[in-house]
Amino acid sequence: MLRKDLIQKSPVVQILGSDYMEKSQFGAVISRAGVGKTQFLVQIAISWLLEGKKVIHISLYDTIDKINLRYKEGYTNLIDSVGYIDPQKASRLWDDLAPCKFGITCHENTFSPKNIRDYLVSLKKNSLEMPSMIVVDGLDFDRDCSIVLDKLSELASEFSLAIWFSMKSHREEAFTDKGFPIQLDKVQSRFAKAVYLQPKEDKIEVVILKDGVKVNERHLIEPATMMLA
Amino acid sequence: MLKDLKRVRNIGISAHIDSGKTTLTERILFYTNRIHQIHEVKGKDGAGAVMDSMDLERERGITIASAATHCEWNKNDINIIDTPGHVDFTVEVERSLRVLDGVILVLCSVSGVQSQSITVDQQMKRYQVPCIAFVNKCDRSGANPYRVAKQLRDKLGHNSILMQIPIGLEDKLKGVVDLISMKALYFEGDNGEHVVVKEIPPELKDEATEKREEMIDAVSMYSDELTEAILEEKEITEAMVVSAVRRGTISREMTPVFMGSAYKNTAVQPLLDAVLKFLPAPIDINNEAIDHDRNGESIILTSDFDKPTVALAFKLEDGQYGQLTYIRVYQGGLKKGDTIINSRDGKKVKVGRLIRMHAAEMEDIDEIPAGHIGAMFGIDCASGDTFVSPGINYSMIAMHVMEPVISLSIIPVDNKSQINMSKALNRFTKEDPTFRTYVDKETSETIIQGMGELHLEVYVERMKREYKAEVITGQPRVAYRETITQKAEFNYTHKKQTGGAGQYGRVSGFVEPFEGEFEFVNKVTGGRIPTNYIPACEKGFAGCMEKGPKLEFPITGVRVTLMDGAYHAVDSSDMAFQAAARGGFLEGYLKAKPVIHEPIMKVVIETPNEFQGSCMGLINQRRGIILGSQEEGVMSVIESQVPLSEMFGFSTILRSATQGKAQFTMEFSSYKQVPQSVADAIIKAKEEDKKKK
Repeated sequence: MLRKDLIQKSPVVQILGSDYMEKSQFGAVISRAGVGKTQFLVQIAISWLLEGKKVIHISLYDTIDKINLRYKEGYTNLIDSVGYIDPQKASRLWDDLAPCKFGITCHENTFSPKNIRDYLVSLKKNSLEMPSMIVVDGLDFDRDCSIVLDKLSELASEFSLAIWFSMKSHREEAFTDKGFPIQLDKVQSRFAKAVYLQPKEDKIEVVILKDGVKVNERHLIEPATMMLA
Repeated sequence: MLKDLKRVRNIGISAHIDSGKTTLTERILFYTNRIHQIHEVKGKDGAGAVMDSMDLERERGITIASAATHCEWNKNDINIIDTPGHVDFTVEVERSLRVLDGVILVLCSVSGVQSQSITVDQQMKRYQVPCIAFVNKCDRSGANPYRVAKQLRDKLGHNSILMQIPIGLEDKLKGVVDLISMKALYFEGDNGEHVVVKEIPPELKDEATEKREEMIDAVSMYSDELTEAILEEKEITEAMVVSAVRRGTISREMTPVFMGSAYKNTAVQPLLDAVLKFLPAPIDINNEAIDHDRNGESIILTSDFDKPTVALAFKLEDGQYGQLTYIRVYQGGLKKGDTIINSRDGKKVKVGRLIRMHAAEMEDIDEIPAGHIGAMFGIDCASGDTFVSPGINYSMIAMHVMEPVISLSIIPVDNKSQINMSKALNRFTKEDPTFRTYVDKETSETIIQGMGELHLEVYVERMKREYKAEVITGQPRVAYRETITQKAEFNYTHKKQTGGAGQYGRVSGFVEPFEGEFEFVNKVTGGRIPTNYIPACEKGFAGCMEKGPKLEFPITGVRVTLMDGAYHAVDSSDMAFQAAARGGFLEGYLKAKPVIHEPIMKVVIETPNEFQGSCMGLINQRRGIILGSQEEGVMSVIESQVPLSEMFGFSTILRSATQGKAQFTMEFSSYKQVPQSVADAIIKAKEEDKKKK
């Protein structure tokens, strides 16, 4: 029951809908520094965890402790948004969810899809439960990422994975003619979904840049909790 | 021994395995003229390091028992406890920290803060032991002391502050710059024994000035005088900085970071100076004892030689002259011929021979005054016992001792081995509270229990070497436990009235899950069970906790509430109610959905990046949960939780999967319920075992 309540309250589900991501696809959360890309990505991952799926969170700058803290915080915010929940139930559910995600931290120049592949292959070989989603936080899209994206795309098809990226844009840069930030524009054909976060007064506005009919839909979320305002 | 306690330091050297603790201790002993030749831990001369006095330690290149040793530096007494780095021997580290006033935390400049450093740090926090950090192995390829200092901050939450910067790194390491005196220190001579003070090389001047400013800024928090001097732009003297750093270190608010390479004889002497300058003397530390005559009130002990003696036995060793007891005196003093009392059993003992240890060699002394560490012969006691003067009844606060998680059956090969084995076990259980032994009533096998495979392996090996006891070991067994998951009622009548004296007792109530081990609640009213039979009921219930009815693992986490019952004026007895309680427990227990719990270990693997994926795969194959994988330079650190039962023989598997380049550590984390499929396998194995018997 609690899982269902939380899924309904998830800002991601409310913004993108419950079937917001097909397997083997890429998604992106774009904003300039400090607006809340990572925390939004964490909410995306939590909504997958609540569906009973496994998630790998790869960060190119956070430590493991910090990743775990972000998930805990994201989960607590979600719980608080539902209203009163038996704390024991909430803590039991967290105990169930926490082992289903695991964080990997590495540096950008040593980030290797091969290591992820080795790991996934070993899971498959042992008939163990496969992750359904990978979060890649911190990849620098100002540089040419085509090789890494190619390899990740292969991984996504081979193992039926959805992969969500954070993408940092810059304050001074204007959108391209197609209506995308420069970072996304170069690679937009690879991405099935993309959302753009920008501060709007004391809230954060989420603009859907790529998602079929939903394009240009706008939603406001609370910066402190990332819950719908 | 010095009676001016300002000039005494009791310190430990703690760190992760292979960080170079023993090498560092060896160098300290060399520079303080306690030894005249340096042997390496895994040196080609086969002599081993002096502190590794057990044959086994020298052979494996690890430090098993903490050897206490004493040295002098600049007319100050330093007592050093060399502590083991392997997690299986953590109790040794705990015991050492209990009696120490300060610690040198040794970190490898390449691997940085590793899992054991985190464990040691938690223990230091528990006993509030101040520390200084020494970033060792700066001569190694990939050395980066700045990264290690940052890790101290990020991973352990220390306020780490650099006191030195290196002159060159890796194979170009030449010396260090002392940021307090702003001088360059070089170490010349065959063994780096001559400290040569020079001006800072011009290319390092800017960096040194910048780092000194950062350091002064950070330590000014701990001294008003220093802050004033900075604000008023007065001259900042060395004494001001030293006093501020000392205050910050002793209050555990900052960790000064030193660096060098013990192996290359670089910067060990400045570390010794730092021990004297920044780590506390016995009089700077508050030690507490419990006064049993005043309802366990806590008493602060003072290092006063005239007050009654309070001393703690923290380590036992079996030497050629009988039992050697390492002791720290907190108050008063121990003199030859004194009568002291073991506060655990109240037995009076006479102090015989007192010695000061230098690894395997000993020096006779007449007295161990308060604040010092020494050893005594011929006293029969257990590790952790408190000795006091007649007239007081204090005991030092008990040490945190963990429950063993693994067991192994051992069978002596012949009669002689059997006698020697029991001698050895008697000694080892006294020495190490995490090492336990018992005889299995059903199989009559002797079972040893400990904290890990290596822990037990070392004791079996010591039995062979030190006691000539050859034993055959069985398969390691995991310490499973049983518990219940829901409330269930029982109503059981024990009735035996066929001939002879009858037995009658009825108990009714419920069992339910409970956070602690066991609790008995009596809610019987109206004399349905007379009060004189209630203790028998409790005994009956408690007795059932030893072995679960199905799988015979110990039961934990059960509360039994007795609500009602019945008795017979003639046929009821203690025995009858005990039997009724046993029957009632069994009835309720089986209805309360019992489950098996197994020990889960925290496993940390350090592997070169290229093997990260396969190492994570190994964890997954073992029902492990990966908590995270962090890249640190060329290595990845994978943190996970894995059931102990899946970890047997893991070191061999890890070696073959990573060309021997990865290493792992393992320590107990918690007990968790086993999945049904595994529980079924355990039940099946248990049944097969029974059939064999």
